[in-house]
Amino acid sequence: MSRLVLASICIIAAFPTAATAQQPPQPPPSPPTHNVQGAVRVVDVRGRALEVTTGVGMALRVVRLQVPADTRVTAAGAPLPLARLQAGDLVRVSYGARPGGFVAYAIERLGRVP
Amino acid sequence: MMRRLAAGAICLLVAAAGACRRPPQLGDPLPGLSTAERARFDRGRAIFDSVFTPATGLGPLFNANGCIECHEDPVRGGTGDEVERHASAFHPGVTGGGGARPCDELATLGGPVYQNHVTPALQTALGIDSEPVPPEATAIAHRTTPDIFGFGLLDAVPDSEILAYADPDDRDRDGISGRPNRFFDGRLGRFGRKALVPALREFNEGALAAEQGITTPAVPTEETVAGRPLPAGVDPAPDPELSDSAVALLDAFVRLLAPPSPLRLSREARQGRDAFGRVGCDRCHVPVLRTGDSPIPALSHRDVAAYTDLLLHDMGPELADICLGLATPSEFRTEPLMGVHRMARFLHDGRATTLEQAIELHNGEAARARDRFRALSAEDRAALVAFLKTL
Repeated sequence: MSRLVLASICIIAAFPTAATAQQPPQPPPSPPTHNVQGAVRVVDVRGRALEVTTGVGMALRVVRLQVPADTRVTAAGAPLPLARLQAGDLVRVSYGARPGGFVAYAIERLGRVP
Repeated sequence: MMRRLAAGAICLLVAAAGACRRPPQLGDPLPGLSTAERARFDRGRAIFDSVFTPATGLGPLFNANGCIECHEDPVRGGTGDEVERHASAFHPGVTGGGGARPCDELATLGGPVYQNHVTPALQTALGIDSEPVPPEATAIAHRTTPDIFGFGLLDAVPDSEILAYADPDDRDRDGISGRPNRFFDGRLGRFGRKALVPALREFNEGALAAEQGITTPAVPTEETVAGRPLPAGVDPAPDPELSDSAVALLDAFVRLLAPPSPLRLSREARQGRDAFGRVGCDRCHVPVLRTGDSPIPALSHRDVAAYTDLLLHDMGPELADICLGLATPSEFRTEPLMGVHRMARFLHDGRATTLEQAIELHNGEAARARDRFRALSAEDRAALVAFLKTL
């Protein structure tokens, strides 16, 4: 979780704020979309949250994501209820940073880690 | 006539040069690199030799202050005397069918690598000298430093070549059932004592983060202190602490390191080579793997005498420590034997000080081979060990 907070802070800090102060108001820029492919660690259906284990080499990371009701969750192209996702499922997630944390835009269930 | 003579002389010179060409020495690049590849190797070596400080990115948690601190013996890329701690939690009752995976690598609690050192700033802030292993861990493993010679060749072996040796259900009933490990994104693993890591670039870049506390564009966040966030002010270097181009050069150095050259076989060692096959060591320690396509010609379609199948095998309860990915505590990747003649300690944690001890500690899937080794004549056992000491 702390890594998530750190990552969130880094990403949020990367957005320019001072430079826009003297310009006419503009719609906020869309946050960049990130992608992660990994194994579902935890599905919190009531809390609409998901944790995905990923990483690079032996530096493992867990990405915690909020899953709003309008997030597309699919398996083989067909819609899938969040409740059907299970720990150990292999998923590909596109997501972005929001002030409250990472938010999933789309979740695709690819199968299970063998 | 003169033209024929000149051509003949040129042929003789070329042949003589080939005959006299010395094999690569430890720490040398692969033969046959282009000028550009050799330049990247040399530039990457400088990064490999770098010693980091907190101001240049070290830590706050770390096992070493540079690649060269561990991979130093007898030259850069070799082994070292550092022993580090890995931990995970294994819950064998969990089958994965709708619940959690049996293995928890403790990634939310700072795992699986628990760093042995902290920077002075973190020491002052928390009063710790190393990262504590959380109580959730069910096992702590000790890991010696592997040498990394020839790892570029191992990286270039196609998955299909590795999977061809897998026999997870032991269909051939030889008692050996190698199976692949998989990373969390489903890719085949091959690096690390539990074969979790799919690719050399990730093995290297993950080591920067987990071993040295160096963040990179691919790993932009620091390790936590057993899951707790770092206190403010203990990590002065801005992230990423190493650029993508620097990581690429470091990767080029490791990737292009030549494998260790085997020694000349004596008559005894030739006898031992036969015994190696007769005993069945070669069922897991597969003598030669073949690389596939590679953008680097020196890595493309080459035989690598690695003596491994890069698969997981159950080695019995005495050696068991942590789980990792699909690997259960007693499963380990077949350790490559290339370069074993230079080793002073053996097995994943260095507990064996002789090759005979290491063989005796084989169990599980290797029990039959170990028993056949025991049943050899003293002369054949000595010959087999003599053969190993040429690899």
